[in-house]
Amino acid sequence: MRRQFKDTTLDLAAKDEKVVVILGDISHFLFNEFQQKFPERFYNMGICENALISIAAGLSAQGFHPFVHTITPFLTERSLEQIKLDLCYNRLGANIVTTGASFDYAWDGATHHCYTDLAILRLMPGMEVTQPGNRKELDALIRSQYNNGKPTYFRLSDHGHNLDLPVQFGRGVVVRDNGANVTVMTAGPILSNVMEACADLPVNVVYFHTLKPIDHELIARYRHTKILVVHDAFGLHEAIHEVPDLRTVYHGLPDEFCVWYGTVHDIRKQIGLDPAGIREAIRKRIHD
Amino acid sequence: MTPLGREIRALILKASRASGHGHIPTSFSIVEMLCAVYETMKHDPKNPQWDERDIFILSKGHGALGLYAVLAHYGYLPVEELNTFGAFQSRLGCHPDRFKVPGVELSTGSLGHGIAVAVGMALGFRLQKSPRRVYTLIGDGESNEGSVWEAVAVATHLKLTNLTVLLDANRSQVRSLPIPNPAERFAAFGCDTIEVDGHDLEALKRALTQPATNTRAVIAHTIKGYGCPTLVQNVFEWHRKSPKPDEFEKLMEELNAA
Repeated sequence: MRRQFKDTTLDLAAKDEKVVVILGDISHFLFNEFQQKFPERFYNMGICENALISIAAGLSAQGFHPFVHTITPFLTERSLEQIKLDLCYNRLGANIVTTGASFDYAWDGATHHCYTDLAILRLMPGMEVTQPGNRKELDALIRSQYNNGKPTYFRLSDHGHNLDLPVQFGRGVVVRDNGANVTVMTAGPILSNVMEACADLPVNVVYFHTLKPIDHELIARYRHTKILVVHDAFGLHEAIHEVPDLRTVYHGLPDEFCVWYGTVHDIRKQIGLDPAGIREAIRKRIHD
Repeated sequence: MTPLGREIRALILKASRASGHGHIPTSFSIVEMLCAVYETMKHDPKNPQWDERDIFILSKGHGALGLYAVLAHYGYLPVEELNTFGAFQSRLGCHPDRFKVPGVELSTGSLGHGIAVAVGMALGFRLQKSPRRVYTLIGDGESNEGSVWEAVAVATHLKLTNLTVLLDANRSQVRSLPIPNPAERFAAFGCDTIEVDGHDLEALKRALTQPATNTRAVIAHTIKGYGCPTLVQNVFEWHRKSPKPDEFEKLMEELNAA
């Protein structure tokens, strides 16, 4: 997905002289071509995430469309007040693009994990929050939102799903509707594990790449079913509950740090977010 | 004290007296700095959105009453509106709101933000090949924030000569985390640094108009409550206080004698 981020911004920068890329000393080799083509609009500004967000706000105030990029927890949790005040309170737009998601940096340990970015950013007034599931979704979401004057969050992962789904900002997708009385709702790359888990199970599957604004109308259509929210982060479950009178169960992160290393797959397996663990949760929801 | 300095301080005292709110000592320490900026930068009170204007950001947002008084003096606000300071439906809060107050370029309050946004604006002007300039006023207490130094490091690395940082060196942090030698600190970060008496309007104007080889830091040595000995001697008591009628009369007498 990071490569797509580079490809999309490279293309946009050629068409729109207001596009500026600011890196927090991550992905700089990936952006070599961007730097060569648009040296005045490329800054590997350093490991100073608070300043990166504020500087993006300043650029936005003068009409630019900045993309700020580094590792997820450092740009979101660490810089939450800069996002809240310099972008949201001052109503200045910027594109916050992170890499690492929840556990892509599994073996770096919990300092590099991020559990709350989606949950906290959707609480910021005026913020748009997306979790693209693959390259196609990322490309479409960036193109539709990057220059709308609002702060928009794009949470990238190195492990996208391989489903080819329609992409429209703010709209969820019915991946499967069996007329079942259980609906699995999920977001982002974990969709691949969800689909493997429920291949032969009688459930509907509803998918979101946009968490804010969440698609109220689509969620309400499944109000009559038992809902299982499967997500490898916080934020989706809370967003779904903007729609009243739902019967949901959350299958996702525990209320503790995931203190193992290995790979994203190892951690997902440990906390029941591998296909087998998700399948078990779905079976339980079907029978409860 | 110049007549201008006395006039602005009188506006601050009257607004604090009328409204029941105030950050008088910190507002008094920045009066000459604010006046020097508005006397030298390109701006048009009749057209606050003029697209060739320079930008001023009050990063230490708690000096807003001083900023409002200066904005009123230069014609951005009716002077009588200062008396609404802090009222429920007033445009003039304890910290400035860019959507409410003409001439306010950024809503500030939490410390360590305005200076970094100013860096982004200065970079934007450079990218636009615009001659517009950015000025930001920070506090020495504010300079406890790490984000101030992130911003200064980026600004000097990018050699943003169109950015001027004014430090209100009023020694308010002697009680906690002071900067022993602020000029040395800013110079160490790469700034083109000038030290001045922060209550000398002409010296400040000279510092703001001299060409700079890198981001300009103006270290303005100031006194909290400057102009009224009562405020200077009891600075902590007066930090957020509004004067009662007899106190107001005394402060005005002191100010007129300054």
